Amino acid sequence: MHSAAQPDMIFGFSPVWFAGGLFVLTYVLIVTERLNRAVIAMMAAVLMIVSGVLTQQSAMQGVDINTIGLLTGMMIIVGITRESGVFQYLAIRSAKLVKADPWGILVMLVLVTAFLSALLDNVTTVLLIAPITLLIADTLKLSAYPYLFAEIFAANIGGTATLIGDPPNIMIASATGLTYNDFLFNLAPIAIFILLVTLVPFYFIWGRHLKAEPRLINKVMQYRELDAIKDWLLLKKSLFVLGLVMVGFIVGHDYGLQPATIALFGASLLLVLHIFPHNQEKQTEMVSRALGEVEWITIFFFIGLFILVYGVESTGLLEMLAHQVIEFTGGDKTVTAISIMFVSAVASSIVDNIPFVATMIPLIKNMAASFGGAEELIPIWWSLALGACLGGNGSLVGASANLIVAGFAERSGQPIHFLPFMLMAFPLMLLSVLISSIYVYFRYF
Amino acid sequence: MPASEVMNPNPTTLKPTDTIECAAKCIMDNRYRNIPVVDENFCYLGMFGVNFLLKQVIPKSVFIDKGLKNVSFIHESLEDLYQRFDEIKNQPISMFLNNEVPPVSPDTPLTETLLQLYETRSSIAVVEKGTCKLLGMISYWDVGEKMLNVVGRPHA
Repeated sequence: MHSAAQPDMIFGFSPVWFAGGLFVLTYVLIVTERLNRAVIAMMAAVLMIVSGVLTQQSAMQGVDINTIGLLTGMMIIVGITRESGVFQYLAIRSAKLVKADPWGILVMLVLVTAFLSALLDNVTTVLLIAPITLLIADTLKLSAYPYLFAEIFAANIGGTATLIGDPPNIMIASATGLTYNDFLFNLAPIAIFILLVTLVPFYFIWGRHLKAEPRLINKVMQYRELDAIKDWLLLKKSLFVLGLVMVGFIVGHDYGLQPATIALFGASLLLVLHIFPHNQEKQTEMVSRALGEVEWITIFFFIGLFILVYGVESTGLLEMLAHQVIEFTGGDKTVTAISIMFVSAVASSIVDNIPFVATMIPLIKNMAASFGGAEELIPIWWSLALGACLGGNGSLVGASANLIVAGFAERSGQPIHFLPFMLMAFPLMLLSVLISSIYVYFRYF
Repeated sequence: MPASEVMNPNPTTLKPTDTIECAAKCIMDNRYRNIPVVDENFCYLGMFGVNFLLKQVIPKSVFIDKGLKNVSFIHESLEDLYQRFDEIKNQPISMFLNNEVPPVSPDTPLTETLLQLYETRSSIAVVEKGTCKLLGMISYWDVGEKMLNVVGRPHA
């Protein structure tokens, strides 16, 4: 089964066992969080090459440049755009639109977070929204907990809606050729519905009790959101490029343009517009700052994982697992899709959804022959995307954005503890997955 | 020259049980940046300073890690600032001592002491070696005054 270039035995093990063992060990180390996850993934990737499972050349073939390019490009664009202050403007404006009513603010922050998460990555979104949330809650003398809890859900649900909203979607799109519009038409409607449904329990749990004194409400109303915009020229440039990139995502597929090309074009264009009038020294400083906004840990984590999973795939292990899954579900596509959705959701609430999806992609691809071709797998891809993205809401460790929000909560003296969060979040996450499974069943089967 | 020769041996001190309001009054009346806090045995516990007071009247979300960098949209009055101060003024200062500025011993060389003064931008406590007893304080003004007094003095 394994590639011709692979040795028959690696350190006394067959390539399947060696790659499988290394894969499991890597996951265990990632879960224990004793070492930085990027370092673990890179080490595992290098071991795949050193041991002979992959050659350096074949390892590079495993790296999905589309995912890496899209993430890097968007991180640069957001990093520059945030300097304009537009995201703070949005958050404050939305709070004032509802006359600073505490429940209204929660709803608006949920909507803004979900909207930004659909257009940007979740971590960036919560990094932008959480500090403003803490300020508003502090001003209103209210606990920030309901707001931060709701924002975690909004970030993960909003991210589900688009190709660029959450890394699992980026990976799935890149592996399958599904377009920005495919994600928008298939996932956005259900994501919006789930978001609205989720607001109902939020209202009964917290919303109806959220009350603030009129003088404190007045303090929020005195915020001058226009003053949050620090650089109008940069704002115009950023919005122009962001708009261009969004249009590119929507129409680019028709012209053979991959999302990574569009995002990197946008990043390059914005960099040119941003640094152009300045001298050489200042340009170097500005480019250095913009590139510093890229989360290199995430990028190298992805690169390492891609090589690791490609190594495992090259041994034929994932193909064997795919046959096992089909056997388990009796070869029924509906059962397979729904099972994958629930398993992805539960797994993603326990472990990082990025390595999980990286593993599931080749596994699902290997099911194509059994289900009658790649086209037949499309409902399964939507199931994987919904399960992996929404599953992030199941626990505090389910998504990077959750941990970022929890960090803010802790530093502000209102910690979100693991178990109380999970007791409330896991059932809500299951509710969202249940709704998704009904949606997938009625829409695709 | 050691640190002990430029220190003020009779500094104003605070007790850990003093309230923030009482400490703030002392700081404002004397225009101090930091005041050493000592227990009943004159053991040095840390500093309490004007920076802490400033931090308390600015929204908390500014100071947390990765917090608000842009606060240009917040327009507050002196009453707003006082309300924040009012919420904490009765708490004892023991909960908010600053230990980021390490004390020096009396025999620390003058140049090393001055470098610490420059880097920390805070008055420095002089503490007896091997114990925690506060011997004095060194401020910009103590050093500056003594240095300027050298002028006109006959060379040794």
